[in-house]
Amino acid sequence: MNTFLTAIALALCLLVFLVLYRVVFGPGVFNRIAAISAIGTKTLVILIIFGFFYNRVEMFIDISMVYALLNFIGCVAAAKYLENEG
Amino acid sequence: MEVTLLVQAADDAFRILEKARGQAVELLNTATKLTSDTRWMEEKKIQAVLMGAQKKKSGLQNFAVTFLLLFAFWALLSGKFDTFHLSLGVICSFVVALIGHDLLFANVRVGDMRVIVQRFFAYLPWHIYQIVIANFHVAYLALSPKMPISPKIMRFKTKLESDISWVTLANSITLTPGTITIDIEEGEFVVHALSEKLADDLNTGEMEDRIAHVFMEADHIYIQDVLDVARIFAEFR
Amino acid sequence: MIIRGEDIIIRTIARVLVPFIQLYALYVIMHGHYSPGGGFQGGVILGASMVLLFITHGYAEVNRKFSENIAVLFSSIGVLIYSGIGFLCLILLGNFLDYSVLYKLLNVDPAHARSLGILGVELGVGFAVMAVMFSIFFDISTGGVLPEDEEERD
Repeated sequence: MNTFLTAIALALCLLVFLVLYRVVFGPGVFNRIAAISAIGTKTLVILIIFGFFYNRVEMFIDISMVYALLNFIGCVAAAKYLENEG
Repeated sequence: MEVTLLVQAADDAFRILEKARGQAVELLNTATKLTSDTRWMEEKKIQAVLMGAQKKKSGLQNFAVTFLLLFAFWALLSGKFDTFHLSLGVICSFVVALIGHDLLFANVRVGDMRVIVQRFFAYLPWHIYQIVIANFHVAYLALSPKMPISPKIMRFKTKLESDISWVTLANSITLTPGTITIDIEEGEFVVHALSEKLADDLNTGEMEDRIAHVFMEADHIYIQDVLDVARIFAEFR
Repeated sequence: MIIRGEDIIIRTIARVLVPFIQLYALYVIMHGHYSPGGGFQGGVILGASMVLLFITHGYAEVNRKFSENIAVLFSSIGVLIYSGIGFLCLILLGNFLDYSVLYKLLNVDPAHARSLGILGVELGVGFAVMAVMFSIFFDISTGGVLPEDEEERD
């Protein structure tokens, strides 16, 4: 079970690095915001997989939910700001 | 003698022409009024969807259902069911429901909640099946060497009537791979589709019909809509 | 200045999510002993929920629930709860914030009294953090000019 989860976590990290290209080289700020939001969704799955490694899933589920909320609110706030004063 | 007959005939001709002109003007007036009526009706419908979320049917029922939902959520989150934590849960749900009781169920046009929840859970398997099929199609498009995509932006109006059903339709379209809802402007959906097949699947309107069935909008006619349409039908009589 | 536009998707989703976000924030505050959380984290999430309501629904909607005046009031109430519990411990002849002497008031054993005392100060911290987060966001986004003053000027 642990090897399977490690493989999944590594695959997700690889996907995060692929999206990081858009964060660094994205022409314009909208590309960067969308890419950071995408990185956020993968990060919270990686956090829960860490929870399985340490056998304390309930703790990491709390952290993941908070991160998902803050990711959503941050994306909405940045989009609203850029809509009006971009 | 013939001159008077001729003059009379010209007179009659002029009178007939006058009457014809009067009738033509009346017809044009009715036509403009009817188009402005339909446009007024459409704008009123869009306003009702946007403002429907503001007019609240607030009362004890909203507050009670919000309180129960929040308490169930608290019991789900906290695994401890001893008296102290449950009483904390009751106090916290009470305070949050007090502040935000008009937020959850703000739309007065949405029907009976129990039936809607049942139908929603019956809608989910069909939606997941659509996601799987679209997944295969987009994977085929992306992995084939010449990538036969033809992206296009389509606009369409829906027959759905409340803001929650609009949002559910927009979310369902975005969750299905290959189509994304870009915006909803003035009651019109702006959707970006990746290929012709996906656009055709969307244009059949099956998703819209199923969501109208979920939110009980295909079930009954609202009295106000009948009254609106009756005004236009009265013109034809 | 955050203008209220016609984006119905964000507005509907925000109004459905906000009660659940607030309840989750209160859960995080109350369960600070057992899982990651506590006062500051829960306060940040509460403030973030108010900020979400503000940016999606505009100033009028959030003013009915949580206006600028109430934010100032809540920050003071938070500090009052914190130092109030501390002074209560002083009055009962203990040290400042020595919760174990509270057992005389609450009729529980000293270990339990410590737990309840910590819960009390976490609540105070949560209120203060929520109020200050909302205040900071509000002041920066409107530049100190309320919308009604701006409309009168036009």
